[in-house]
Amino acid sequence: MIFISLFLIIIAIFGAPLFAVIASSAMLGFHGLDSDLMIMAIEIQSIASMPFLAAIPLFTFAGYILSESNAPKRLVKLTNSIFGWMPGGLSLVCLAACAFFTAFTGASGVTIIALGAILYPALKEDGYNDKFNLGLVTSAGSLGLLFAPSLPLILYGVIAKVSIDQLFIAGILPGLLMLIMLSTYSLLINRHIRKPLSSFSIQKVRTSLKESLWELPLPVIVLGGIYSGFFAVSEAAAITALYVVVIEVFILREISIRRLPQIIHSSMVLVGGILIILAVSIASTSYMIDAEIPQHLFALVKSLIDSQTTFLILLLIFLLILGAILDIFSAIVLVVPLILPIASGYNIDPVHLGIVFLAAMQLGYLTPPVGLNLFIASFRFEKPIMHVYSATLPFLIILMISVIFITFFPQLSLFLSN
Amino acid sequence: MKIQLILNRLDSIGAKFETILLVFILISMILIAVGQIIMREVFEVGFGWIDELVRLMVLWIALVGSIAACRENRHIRIDIISNYLSERITNLIQAFVDMFAAVICGLIAFQSWRYLKIEIEYSDIVLVDTPAWIAHSIVPIAFFLISYRFLVTALKKTIDVFLRKSST
Repeated sequence: MIFISLFLIIIAIFGAPLFAVIASSAMLGFHGLDSDLMIMAIEIQSIASMPFLAAIPLFTFAGYILSESNAPKRLVKLTNSIFGWMPGGLSLVCLAACAFFTAFTGASGVTIIALGAILYPALKEDGYNDKFNLGLVTSAGSLGLLFAPSLPLILYGVIAKVSIDQLFIAGILPGLLMLIMLSTYSLLINRHIRKPLSSFSIQKVRTSLKESLWELPLPVIVLGGIYSGFFAVSEAAAITALYVVVIEVFILREISIRRLPQIIHSSMVLVGGILIILAVSIASTSYMIDAEIPQHLFALVKSLIDSQTTFLILLLIFLLILGAILDIFSAIVLVVPLILPIASGYNIDPVHLGIVFLAAMQLGYLTPPVGLNLFIASFRFEKPIMHVYSATLPFLIILMISVIFITFFPQLSLFLSN
Repeated sequence: MKIQLILNRLDSIGAKFETILLVFILISMILIAVGQIIMREVFEVGFGWIDELVRLMVLWIALVGSIAACRENRHIRIDIISNYLSERITNLIQAFVDMFAAVICGLIAFQSWRYLKIEIEYSDIVLVDTPAWIAHSIVPIAFFLISYRFLVTALKKTIDVFLRKSST
Protein backbone atom coordinates (compact mmCIF):
# COMPACT_ATOMS: atom_id res chain seq x y z
CA MET A 1 0.00 0.00 0.00
CA ILE A 2 2.76 2.43 0.98
CA PHE A 3 4.63 1.38 -2.12
CA ILE A 4 1.66 2.14 -4.37
CA SER A 5 1.01 5.51 -2.70
CA LEU A 6 4.64 6.41 -3.26
CA PHE A 7 4.29 5.41 -6.90
CA LEU A 8 1.24 7.69 -7.25
CA ILE A 9 3.06 10.64 -5.72
CA ILE A 10 6.05 10.15 -7.99
CA ILE A 11 3.90 9.78 -11.08
CA ALA A 12 2.04 12.98 -10.12
CA ILE A 13 5.29 14.90 -9.76
CA PHE A 14 6.42 13.54 -13.10
CA GLY A 15 3.40 15.17 -14.71
CA ALA A 16 0.58 12.62 -14.80
CA PRO A 17 -2.79 14.38 -15.18
CA LEU A 18 -3.84 15.12 -11.61
CA PHE A 19 -7.37 13.88 -12.03
CA ALA A 20 -6.08 10.46 -13.09
CA VAL A 21 -3.81 10.28 -10.03
CA ILE A 22 -6.66 11.27 -7.67
CA ALA A 23 -9.04 8.84 -9.36
CA SER A 24 -6.59 5.98 -9.02
CA SER A 25 -5.99 6.67 -5.34
CA ALA A 26 -9.77 6.77 -4.78
CA MET A 27 -10.26 3.47 -6.59
CA LEU A 28 -7.38 1.93 -4.72
CA GLY A 29 -8.95 3.04 -1.45
CA PHE A 30 -12.42 1.77 -2.33
CA HIS A 31 -10.88 -1.51 -3.45
CA GLY A 32 -9.22 -1.81 -0.04
CA LEU A 33 -12.60 -1.29 1.65
CA ASP A 34 -14.09 -4.05 -0.55
CA SER A 35 -16.45 -1.56 -2.23
CA ASP A 36 -17.66 -2.20 -5.77
CA LEU A 37 -15.78 0.21 -8.05
CA MET A 38 -19.06 1.13 -9.73
CA ILE A 39 -19.17 3.67 -6.92
CA MET A 40 -16.84 5.83 -9.06
CA ALA A 41 -19.72 6.42 -11.49
CA ILE A 42 -22.05 7.45 -8.67
CA GLU A 43 -19.47 9.85 -7.23
CA ILE A 44 -18.68 11.43 -10.61
CA GLN A 45 -22.38 11.88 -11.38
CA SER A 46 -22.82 13.65 -8.06
CA ILE A 47 -21.36 16.76 -9.73
CA ALA A 48 -24.93 17.11 -11.00
CA SER A 49 -26.26 17.35 -7.45
CA MET A 50 -24.04 20.16 -6.22
CA PRO A 51 -25.74 23.55 -5.96
CA PHE A 52 -24.29 26.75 -7.48
CA LEU A 53 -21.72 24.87 -9.59
CA ALA A 54 -23.21 26.35 -12.78
CA ALA A 55 -21.57 29.64 -11.70
CA ILE A 56 -18.16 28.24 -12.68
CA PRO A 57 -18.72 27.68 -16.43
CA LEU A 58 -20.84 30.83 -16.69
CA PHE A 59 -18.40 33.23 -15.01
CA THR A 60 -15.44 31.64 -16.84
CA PHE A 61 -17.18 32.19 -20.16
CA ALA A 62 -18.00 35.81 -19.25
CA GLY A 63 -14.36 36.41 -18.26
CA TYR A 64 -13.07 34.95 -21.54
CA ILE A 65 -15.43 37.18 -23.55
CA LEU A 66 -14.24 40.24 -21.62
CA SER A 67 -10.58 39.39 -22.13
CA GLU A 68 -11.08 38.89 -25.88
CA SER A 69 -12.79 42.26 -26.28
CA ASN A 70 -11.27 45.71 -25.81
CA ALA A 71 -12.49 45.81 -22.21
CA PRO A 72 -8.92 45.38 -20.81
CA LYS A 73 -7.76 48.47 -22.75
CA ARG A 74 -10.72 50.52 -21.55
CA LEU A 75 -10.12 49.36 -17.99
CA VAL A 76 -6.48 50.49 -18.12
CA LYS A 77 -7.51 53.81 -19.64
CA LEU A 78 -10.12 54.40 -16.96
CA THR A 79 -7.83 53.60 -14.02
CA ASN A 80 -5.10 55.64 -15.67
CA SER A 81 -7.34 58.70 -15.81
CA ILE A 82 -7.95 58.30 -12.07
CA PHE A 83 -4.47 57.41 -10.77
CA GLY A 84 -2.20 58.44 -13.64
CA TRP A 85 -1.36 61.91 -12.26
CA MET A 86 0.37 60.57 -9.13
CA PRO A 87 4.14 60.00 -9.09
CA GLY A 88 4.39 56.26 -9.69
CA GLY A 89 0.72 56.26 -10.55
CA LEU A 90 0.94 53.82 -13.42
CA SER A 91 1.99 51.08 -11.02
CA LEU A 92 -1.26 51.68 -9.12
CA VAL A 93 -3.14 51.46 -12.39
CA CYS A 94 -1.53 48.10 -12.98
CA LEU A 95 -2.44 46.75 -9.53
CA ALA A 96 -6.03 48.02 -9.53
CA ALA A 97 -6.82 46.96 -13.10
CA CYS A 98 -5.28 43.51 -12.61
CA ALA A 99 -7.17 42.92 -9.36
CA PHE A 100 -10.47 43.86 -10.95
CA PHE A 101 -9.80 41.76 -14.02
CA THR A 102 -8.61 38.67 -12.14
CA ALA A 103 -11.73 38.69 -9.98
CA PHE A 104 -13.73 38.32 -13.18
CA THR A 105 -11.52 35.88 -15.06
CA GLY A 106 -10.82 33.47 -12.24
CA ALA A 107 -7.10 33.53 -11.75
CA SER A 108 -6.05 31.29 -14.59
CA GLY A 109 -3.20 33.31 -15.96
CA VAL A 110 -5.50 35.19 -18.33
CA THR A 111 -4.75 38.48 -16.57
CA ILE A 112 -1.03 38.46 -17.37
CA ILE A 113 -1.76 37.71 -20.99
CA ALA A 114 -4.64 40.18 -21.44
CA LEU A 115 -3.48 43.11 -19.27
CA GLY A 116 0.25 42.47 -19.05
CA ALA A 117 0.54 42.87 -22.79
CA ILE A 118 -0.81 46.43 -22.46
CA LEU A 119 0.75 47.42 -19.14
CA TYR A 120 4.27 46.03 -19.45
CA PRO A 121 5.25 48.17 -22.46
CA ALA A 122 3.38 51.18 -21.02
CA LEU A 123 5.35 50.98 -17.76
CA LYS A 124 8.60 50.75 -19.69
CA GLU A 125 7.71 53.75 -21.81
CA ASP A 126 7.04 55.81 -18.71
CA GLY A 127 10.53 55.10 -17.41
CA TYR A 128 9.87 52.46 -14.79
CA ASN A 129 12.68 50.04 -14.02
CA ASP A 130 12.38 46.91 -16.14
CA LYS A 131 12.86 44.47 -13.29
CA PHE A 132 10.21 46.26 -11.24
CA ASN A 133 7.76 46.07 -14.15
CA LEU A 134 8.29 42.38 -14.61
CA GLY A 135 7.75 41.68 -10.91
CA LEU A 136 4.74 43.96 -10.73
CA VAL A 137 2.92 42.51 -13.73
CA THR A 138 3.72 38.94 -12.68
CA SER A 139 2.48 39.33 -9.11
CA ALA A 140 -0.50 41.53 -9.99
CA GLY A 141 -1.69 38.70 -12.22
CA SER A 142 -3.27 36.82 -9.35
CA LEU A 143 -4.18 39.73 -7.11
CA GLY A 144 -7.95 39.76 -7.44
CA LEU A 145 -8.33 36.23 -6.13
CA LEU A 146 -10.10 37.31 -2.95
CA PHE A 147 -12.61 39.55 -4.72
CA ALA A 148 -15.99 38.33 -5.93
CA PRO A 149 -16.81 36.56 -8.18
CA SER A 150 -13.46 34.75 -8.43
CA LEU A 151 -13.72 31.05 -9.21
CA PRO A 152 -11.61 29.84 -6.26
CA LEU A 153 -13.98 31.62 -3.83
CA ILE A 154 -16.99 29.93 -5.43
CA LEU A 155 -15.27 26.55 -5.46
CA TYR A 156 -14.31 26.85 -1.80
CA GLY A 157 -17.91 27.73 -0.93
CA VAL A 158 -19.20 24.68 -2.80
CA ILE A 159 -16.69 22.29 -1.20
CA ALA A 160 -16.82 23.65 2.37
CA LYS A 161 -20.60 24.17 2.19
CA VAL A 162 -20.11 27.77 3.33
CA SER A 163 -22.40 30.52 2.07
CA ILE A 164 -20.79 31.96 -1.07
CA ASP A 165 -22.36 35.39 -0.46
CA GLN A 166 -20.62 35.51 2.91
CA LEU A 167 -17.28 34.53 1.32
CA PHE A 168 -17.66 37.29 -1.24
CA ILE A 169 -17.97 39.83 1.57
CA ALA A 170 -15.24 38.23 3.67
CA GLY A 171 -12.70 38.59 0.86
CA ILE A 172 -13.07 42.36 0.55
CA LEU A 173 -10.88 43.63 3.42
CA PRO A 174 -8.09 41.02 3.09
CA GLY A 175 -8.04 41.63 -0.67
CA LEU A 176 -7.81 45.38 -0.10
CA LEU A 177 -4.99 44.86 2.42
CA MET A 178 -2.93 43.04 -0.22
CA LEU A 179 -3.73 45.73 -2.75
CA ILE A 180 -2.82 48.59 -0.39
CA MET A 181 0.45 47.02 0.76
CA LEU A 182 1.62 46.40 -2.79
CA SER A 183 0.50 49.89 -3.84
CA THR A 184 2.40 51.52 -0.98
CA TYR A 185 5.55 49.65 -1.92
CA SER A 186 5.19 50.55 -5.59
CA LEU A 187 4.56 54.23 -4.84
CA LEU A 188 7.52 54.43 -2.46
CA ILE A 189 9.91 52.85 -4.90
CA ASN A 190 8.75 54.94 -7.85
CA ARG A 191 8.15 58.25 -6.11
CA HIS A 192 10.73 59.92 -8.36
CA ILE A 193 8.89 59.02 -11.54
CA ARG A 194 6.77 61.90 -12.73
CA LYS A 195 5.20 61.95 -16.09
CA PRO A 196 4.66 65.66 -16.65
CA LEU A 197 2.07 65.45 -19.40
CA SER A 198 -0.44 63.40 -17.51
CA SER A 199 -2.08 65.74 -15.04
CA PHE A 200 -5.37 64.95 -13.48
CA SER A 201 -8.37 66.25 -15.38
CA ILE A 202 -11.99 65.61 -14.60
CA GLN A 203 -12.63 65.81 -18.33
CA LYS A 204 -10.37 62.81 -18.96
CA VAL A 205 -12.08 60.80 -16.25
CA ARG A 206 -15.43 61.64 -17.76
CA THR A 207 -14.38 60.52 -21.27
CA SER A 208 -12.99 57.22 -20.11
CA LEU A 209 -16.01 56.63 -17.90
CA LYS A 210 -18.17 57.17 -20.94
CA GLU A 211 -16.12 54.68 -22.96
CA SER A 212 -16.51 52.04 -20.26
CA LEU A 213 -20.19 52.85 -19.81
CA TRP A 214 -21.33 49.37 -20.77
CA GLU A 215 -18.90 47.49 -18.55
CA LEU A 216 -19.41 49.66 -15.48
CA PRO A 217 -22.68 48.04 -14.40
CA LEU A 218 -20.97 44.59 -14.19
CA PRO A 219 -19.90 44.74 -10.53
CA VAL A 220 -23.34 46.04 -9.65
CA ILE A 221 -25.05 43.16 -11.47
CA VAL A 222 -22.83 40.54 -9.85
CA LEU A 223 -22.55 41.88 -6.32
CA GLY A 224 -25.72 43.91 -6.03
CA GLY A 225 -27.86 41.02 -7.22
CA ILE A 226 -26.28 38.54 -4.84
CA TYR A 227 -26.03 40.77 -1.76
CA SER A 228 -29.58 42.05 -2.10
CA GLY A 229 -30.76 38.43 -2.15
CA PHE A 230 -32.37 39.07 -5.50
CA PHE A 231 -30.70 36.07 -7.08
CA ALA A 232 -28.34 33.20 -6.27
CA VAL A 233 -24.68 33.08 -7.36
CA SER A 234 -25.39 30.78 -10.29
CA GLU A 235 -28.18 33.08 -11.47
CA ALA A 236 -25.95 36.15 -11.20
CA ALA A 237 -23.43 34.22 -13.31
CA ALA A 238 -26.04 33.49 -16.00
CA ILE A 239 -27.10 37.15 -16.13
CA THR A 240 -23.46 38.29 -16.29
CA ALA A 241 -22.74 35.86 -19.14
CA LEU A 242 -25.79 37.01 -21.12
CA TYR A 243 -25.05 40.69 -20.45
CA VAL A 244 -21.42 40.40 -21.51
CA VAL A 245 -22.35 38.64 -24.75
CA VAL A 246 -25.00 41.25 -25.53
CA ILE A 247 -22.67 44.23 -25.01
CA GLU A 248 -19.46 42.88 -26.57
CA VAL A 249 -21.04 41.03 -29.48
CA PHE A 250 -24.19 42.98 -30.31
CA ILE A 251 -23.77 46.52 -28.98
CA LEU A 252 -20.03 47.26 -29.14
CA ARG A 253 -19.44 44.59 -31.82
CA GLU A 254 -15.88 43.93 -30.74
CA ILE A 255 -16.31 40.18 -31.02
CA SER A 256 -17.96 38.71 -34.11
CA ILE A 257 -20.54 35.97 -33.67
CA ARG A 258 -18.28 33.67 -35.68
CA ARG A 259 -15.63 33.87 -32.96
CA LEU A 260 -18.05 32.84 -30.20
CA PRO A 261 -17.74 29.05 -30.71
CA GLN A 262 -13.95 29.28 -30.39
CA ILE A 263 -14.21 31.35 -27.20
CA ILE A 264 -16.80 28.98 -25.73
CA HIS A 265 -14.58 26.05 -26.65
CA SER A 266 -11.41 27.38 -25.01
CA SER A 267 -13.20 28.58 -21.87
CA MET A 268 -14.97 25.23 -21.45
CA VAL A 269 -11.68 23.37 -21.86
CA LEU A 270 -10.48 25.20 -18.74
CA VAL A 271 -13.77 24.44 -16.95
CA GLY A 272 -13.55 20.76 -17.95
CA GLY A 273 -10.03 20.56 -16.55
CA ILE A 274 -11.16 21.99 -13.20
CA LEU A 275 -14.47 20.14 -12.85
CA ILE A 276 -13.07 16.69 -13.69
CA ILE A 277 -10.65 17.14 -10.80
CA LEU A 278 -13.61 18.12 -8.64
CA ALA A 279 -15.50 15.00 -9.78
CA VAL A 280 -12.77 12.53 -8.89
CA SER A 281 -11.96 14.40 -5.67
CA ILE A 282 -15.56 13.87 -4.53
CA ALA A 283 -14.80 10.17 -4.89
CA SER A 284 -11.51 10.33 -3.00
CA THR A 285 -13.08 12.45 -0.26
CA SER A 286 -15.92 10.04 0.25
CA TYR A 287 -13.44 7.16 0.41
CA MET A 288 -11.50 9.06 3.08
CA ILE A 289 -14.68 9.65 5.06
CA ASP A 290 -15.60 5.94 4.79
CA ALA A 291 -12.13 5.08 6.04
CA GLU A 292 -12.48 7.67 8.84
CA ILE A 293 -9.26 9.37 7.76
CA PRO A 294 -10.32 12.91 8.81
CA GLN A 295 -11.00 11.64 12.36
CA HIS A 296 -7.63 9.87 12.58
CA LEU A 297 -5.89 12.92 11.21
CA PHE A 298 -7.70 15.16 13.68
CA ALA A 299 -6.76 12.92 16.61
CA LEU A 300 -3.14 12.92 15.47
CA VAL A 301 -2.97 16.70 15.05
CA LYS A 302 -4.79 17.29 18.33
CA SER A 303 -2.31 15.11 20.19
CA LEU A 304 0.61 17.12 18.80
CA ILE A 305 -0.67 20.69 18.81
CA ASP A 306 -2.81 22.25 21.49
CA SER A 307 -2.99 25.98 20.85
CA GLN A 308 -4.84 27.67 18.01
CA THR A 309 -1.86 29.89 17.26
CA THR A 310 0.53 26.98 16.82
CA PHE A 311 -2.03 25.30 14.59
CA LEU A 312 -2.39 28.43 12.44
CA ILE A 313 1.39 28.77 12.07
CA LEU A 314 1.73 25.16 10.96
CA LEU A 315 -1.31 25.47 8.70
CA LEU A 316 0.21 28.48 7.00
CA ILE A 317 3.52 26.70 6.40
CA PHE A 318 1.65 23.68 5.06
CA LEU A 319 -0.45 25.85 2.71
CA LEU A 320 2.59 27.70 1.38
CA ILE A 321 4.30 24.41 0.53
CA LEU A 322 1.05 23.07 -0.94
CA GLY A 323 0.66 26.19 -3.07
CA ALA A 324 4.16 25.81 -4.41
CA ILE A 325 3.39 22.38 -5.87
CA LEU A 326 -0.35 22.23 -6.50
CA ASP A 327 -2.60 24.57 -8.48
CA ILE A 328 -5.29 26.38 -6.50
CA PHE A 329 -8.27 24.41 -7.83
CA SER A 330 -6.86 20.96 -7.11
CA ALA A 331 -5.68 22.15 -3.71
CA ILE A 332 -9.18 23.34 -2.78
CA VAL A 333 -11.03 20.19 -3.78
CA LEU A 334 -8.42 17.81 -2.34
CA VAL A 335 -7.30 19.45 0.87
CA VAL A 336 -10.24 21.52 2.14
CA PRO A 337 -12.37 18.48 3.08
CA LEU A 338 -9.45 17.22 5.19
CA ILE A 339 -8.48 20.40 7.03
CA LEU A 340 -11.98 21.81 7.51
CA PRO A 341 -12.93 19.48 10.39
CA ILE A 342 -9.50 19.90 11.99
CA ALA A 343 -9.67 23.70 11.80
CA SER A 344 -13.12 23.76 13.34
CA GLY A 345 -11.66 21.72 16.19
CA TYR A 346 -9.42 24.72 16.87
CA ASN A 347 -12.40 27.11 16.67
CA ILE A 348 -11.39 28.55 13.33
CA ASP A 349 -14.33 29.97 11.43
CA PRO A 350 -14.79 28.17 8.06
CA VAL A 351 -15.16 31.55 6.32
CA HIS A 352 -11.86 32.76 7.79
CA LEU A 353 -10.23 29.45 6.90
CA GLY A 354 -11.36 29.91 3.30
CA ILE A 355 -9.82 33.37 3.06
CA VAL A 356 -6.56 32.18 4.64
CA PHE A 357 -6.50 29.18 2.34
CA LEU A 358 -6.97 31.24 -0.83
CA ALA A 359 -4.63 34.04 0.29
CA ALA A 360 -1.86 31.51 0.96
CA MET A 361 -2.53 29.69 -2.29
CA GLN A 362 -2.26 32.99 -4.13
CA LEU A 363 1.42 33.06 -3.19
CA GLY A 364 1.69 29.68 -4.87
CA TYR A 365 1.28 31.42 -8.23
CA LEU A 366 4.60 33.15 -7.55
CA THR A 367 6.67 30.50 -5.78
CA PRO A 368 9.08 28.19 -7.52
CA PRO A 369 9.19 25.48 -8.74
CA VAL A 370 5.65 25.40 -10.17
CA GLY A 371 4.31 28.98 -9.88
CA LEU A 372 2.02 29.41 -12.86
CA ASN A 373 2.43 33.19 -13.18
CA LEU A 374 6.22 32.88 -13.24
CA PHE A 375 6.10 30.62 -16.26
CA ILE A 376 3.42 32.59 -18.07
CA ALA A 377 5.37 35.84 -17.53
CA SER A 378 8.65 34.22 -18.58
CA PHE A 379 6.99 32.91 -21.72
CA ARG A 380 4.96 36.03 -22.52
CA PHE A 381 7.71 38.60 -21.97
CA GLU A 382 10.55 36.36 -23.16
CA LYS A 383 12.62 36.59 -19.99
CA PRO A 384 14.63 33.75 -18.42
CA ILE A 385 12.75 32.12 -15.57
CA MET A 386 15.47 32.88 -13.00
CA HIS A 387 15.18 36.56 -13.88
CA VAL A 388 11.41 36.44 -13.29
CA TYR A 389 11.99 34.70 -9.92
CA SER A 390 14.23 37.45 -8.64
CA ALA A 391 12.07 40.26 -10.08
CA THR A 392 9.03 38.89 -8.27
CA LEU A 393 10.77 38.29 -4.94
CA PRO A 394 10.10 41.70 -3.27
CA PHE A 395 6.42 41.47 -4.17
CA LEU A 396 6.29 37.92 -2.88
CA ILE A 397 7.71 39.02 0.47
CA ILE A 398 5.14 41.81 0.82
CA LEU A 399 2.30 39.46 -0.07
CA MET A 400 3.67 36.95 2.46
CA ILE A 401 3.48 39.62 5.19
CA SER A 402 -0.09 40.44 4.23
CA VAL A 403 -1.01 36.74 4.36
CA ILE A 404 0.39 36.56 7.90
CA PHE A 405 -1.82 39.53 8.86
CA ILE A 406 -4.84 37.91 7.24
CA THR A 407 -4.20 34.65 9.07
CA PHE A 408 -3.74 36.04 12.57
CA PHE A 409 -6.37 38.77 12.44
CA PRO A 410 -9.59 36.89 11.68
CA GLN A 411 -11.49 40.16 12.16
CA LEU A 412 -10.21 41.20 8.71
CA SER A 413 -12.30 38.51 7.06
CA LEU A 414 -15.12 38.28 9.60
CA PHE A 415 -15.77 41.93 10.46
CA LEU A 416 -17.89 42.72 7.39
CA SER A 417 -19.48 39.33 6.93
CA ASN A 418 -20.90 39.00 10.42
CA MET B 1 -1.45 4.57 -43.61
CA LYS B 2 -5.08 4.22 -44.64
CA ILE B 3 -6.04 3.57 -41.02
CA GLN B 4 -4.19 6.71 -40.00
CA LEU B 5 -6.14 8.75 -42.57
CA ILE B 6 -9.43 7.41 -41.25
CA LEU B 7 -8.37 8.13 -37.66
CA ASN B 8 -7.36 11.70 -38.52
CA ARG B 9 -10.67 12.23 -40.28
CA LEU B 10 -12.55 10.89 -37.23
CA ASP B 11 -10.45 13.18 -35.07
CA SER B 12 -11.44 16.37 -36.87
CA ILE B 13 -15.10 15.33 -36.95
CA GLY B 14 -14.84 14.69 -33.20
CA ALA B 15 -13.31 18.10 -32.56
CA LYS B 16 -16.12 19.84 -34.45
CA PHE B 17 -18.73 17.80 -32.64
CA GLU B 18 -17.24 18.74 -29.24
CA THR B 19 -17.37 22.43 -30.08
CA ILE B 20 -20.97 22.20 -31.33
CA LEU B 21 -22.00 20.34 -28.18
CA LEU B 22 -20.23 22.83 -25.87
CA VAL B 23 -21.76 25.83 -27.67
CA PHE B 24 -25.22 24.27 -27.58
CA ILE B 25 -25.10 23.33 -23.88
CA LEU B 26 -23.58 26.59 -22.66
CA ILE B 27 -25.96 28.83 -24.60
CA SER B 28 -29.00 26.81 -23.52
CA MET B 29 -27.73 26.95 -19.95
CA ILE B 30 -27.52 30.76 -20.05
CA LEU B 31 -30.96 31.10 -21.62
CA ILE B 32 -32.64 28.57 -19.33
CA ALA B 33 -31.14 30.09 -16.17
CA VAL B 34 -32.05 33.66 -17.17
CA GLY B 35 -35.50 32.50 -18.30
CA GLN B 36 -36.04 30.91 -14.91
CA ILE B 37 -35.31 34.21 -13.13
CA ILE B 38 -37.74 36.08 -15.38
CA MET B 39 -40.44 33.44 -14.80
CA ARG B 40 -39.94 33.64 -11.08
CA GLU B 41 -39.73 37.40 -10.67
CA VAL B 42 -42.27 38.43 -13.31
CA PHE B 43 -44.78 35.61 -13.52
CA GLU B 44 -44.14 34.14 -10.09
CA VAL B 45 -43.92 30.57 -11.36
CA GLY B 46 -41.07 28.11 -11.01
CA PHE B 47 -40.32 24.52 -11.94
CA GLY B 48 -38.16 22.39 -9.70
CA TRP B 49 -36.85 20.35 -12.62
CA ILE B 50 -35.25 23.39 -14.29
CA ASP B 51 -32.68 23.52 -11.52
CA GLU B 52 -31.99 19.82 -11.99
CA LEU B 53 -31.65 20.33 -15.75
CA VAL B 54 -29.09 23.11 -15.31
CA ARG B 55 -27.07 20.93 -12.93
CA LEU B 56 -27.10 18.01 -15.38
CA MET B 57 -25.86 20.44 -18.03
CA VAL B 58 -22.93 21.27 -15.74
CA LEU B 59 -22.06 17.55 -15.66
CA TRP B 60 -22.14 17.41 -19.46
CA ILE B 61 -20.11 20.60 -19.89
CA ALA B 62 -17.54 19.31 -17.40
CA LEU B 63 -17.09 15.99 -19.19
CA VAL B 64 -17.24 17.23 -22.78
CA GLY B 65 -14.82 20.01 -21.75
CA SER B 66 -12.50 17.35 -20.33
CA ILE B 67 -12.49 15.42 -23.60
CA ALA B 68 -11.58 18.66 -25.39
CA ALA B 69 -8.91 19.39 -22.78
CA CYS B 70 -7.21 16.09 -23.68
CA ARG B 71 -6.99 17.02 -27.32
CA GLU B 72 -5.21 20.27 -26.46
CA ASN B 73 -3.15 18.76 -23.64
CA ARG B 74 -4.74 21.21 -21.21
CA HIS B 75 -5.42 18.88 -18.27
CA ILE B 76 -4.03 20.17 -15.00
CA ARG B 77 -0.68 18.59 -14.14
CA ILE B 78 2.14 19.33 -11.76
CA ASP B 79 4.49 20.58 -14.40
CA ILE B 80 7.94 20.65 -12.87
CA ILE B 81 10.09 18.39 -14.95
CA SER B 82 9.43 19.69 -18.46
CA ASN B 83 11.01 23.00 -17.46
CA TYR B 84 14.25 21.36 -16.35
CA LEU B 85 14.79 18.18 -18.40
CA SER B 86 15.67 17.59 -22.04
CA GLU B 87 12.89 17.26 -24.55
CA ARG B 88 13.51 13.58 -25.24
CA ILE B 89 13.43 12.48 -21.63
CA THR B 90 10.36 14.65 -21.07
CA ASN B 91 8.61 12.99 -24.00
CA LEU B 92 9.45 9.55 -22.69
CA ILE B 93 8.13 10.34 -19.23
CA GLN B 94 5.01 11.95 -20.68
CA ALA B 95 4.36 8.88 -22.80
CA PHE B 96 4.48 6.77 -19.64
CA VAL B 97 2.21 8.99 -17.50
CA ASP B 98 -0.30 9.39 -20.34
CA MET B 99 -0.42 5.62 -20.68
CA PHE B 100 -1.15 5.45 -16.97
CA ALA B 101 -3.98 8.00 -17.40
CA ALA B 102 -5.35 5.98 -20.32
CA VAL B 103 -5.54 2.83 -18.18
CA ILE B 104 -7.22 4.62 -15.25
CA CYS B 105 -9.79 6.35 -17.49
CA GLY B 106 -10.48 3.06 -19.27
CA LEU B 107 -11.21 1.50 -15.89
CA ILE B 108 -13.57 4.33 -14.92
CA ALA B 109 -15.30 4.05 -18.32
CA PHE B 110 -15.81 0.32 -17.73
CA GLN B 111 -17.15 0.81 -14.19
CA SER B 112 -19.54 3.58 -15.17
CA TRP B 113 -20.76 1.52 -18.09
CA ARG B 114 -21.57 -1.27 -15.63
CA TYR B 115 -23.45 1.24 -13.49
CA LEU B 116 -25.33 2.56 -16.52
CA LYS B 117 -26.61 -0.96 -17.25
CA ILE B 118 -27.99 -1.12 -13.71
CA GLU B 119 -29.72 2.23 -14.15
CA ILE B 120 -31.34 0.93 -17.34
CA GLU B 121 -32.38 -2.26 -15.60
CA TYR B 122 -34.01 -0.45 -12.66
CA SER B 123 -35.43 2.28 -14.93
CA ASP B 124 -34.12 5.14 -12.74
CA ILE B 125 -35.61 8.50 -13.58
CA VAL B 126 -34.42 12.13 -13.66
CA LEU B 127 -36.21 15.36 -14.71
CA VAL B 128 -39.75 14.14 -13.91
CA ASP B 129 -39.90 11.32 -16.45
CA THR B 130 -36.61 11.05 -18.37
CA PRO B 131 -34.67 7.79 -18.05
CA ALA B 132 -31.61 8.53 -15.91
CA TRP B 133 -29.30 6.52 -18.18
CA ILE B 134 -29.72 9.07 -20.99
CA ALA B 135 -28.54 11.90 -18.73
CA HIS B 136 -25.72 9.81 -17.27
CA SER B 137 -24.57 8.12 -20.50
CA ILE B 138 -21.99 10.90 -20.92
CA VAL B 139 -19.90 9.48 -18.04
CA PRO B 140 -18.78 6.21 -19.69
CA ILE B 141 -18.66 7.85 -23.13
CA ALA B 142 -16.46 10.70 -21.91
CA PHE B 143 -14.05 8.49 -19.98
CA PHE B 144 -13.81 6.10 -22.91
CA LEU B 145 -12.90 8.97 -25.24
CA ILE B 146 -10.48 10.51 -22.72
CA SER B 147 -8.81 7.12 -22.34
CA TYR B 148 -8.57 6.80 -26.11
CA ARG B 149 -7.02 10.29 -26.42
CA PHE B 150 -4.38 9.59 -23.78
CA LEU B 151 -3.57 6.28 -25.46
CA VAL B 152 -3.06 8.04 -28.80
CA THR B 153 -0.79 10.76 -27.36
CA ALA B 154 1.19 8.18 -25.39
CA LEU B 155 1.77 6.12 -28.54
CA LYS B 156 2.64 9.20 -30.59
CA LYS B 157 5.22 10.32 -28.05
CA THR B 158 6.75 6.85 -27.82
CA ILE B 159 7.06 6.61 -31.59
CA ASP B 160 8.53 10.10 -31.64
CA VAL B 161 11.23 9.21 -29.11
CA PHE B 162 12.29 5.99 -30.80
CA LEU B 163 12.15 7.25 -34.37
CA ARG B 164 14.43 10.14 -33.45
CA LYS B 165 16.81 7.78 -31.74
CA SER B 166 17.18 5.65 -34.85
CA SER B 167 17.66 8.65 -37.12
CA THR B 168 20.55 10.12 -35.14
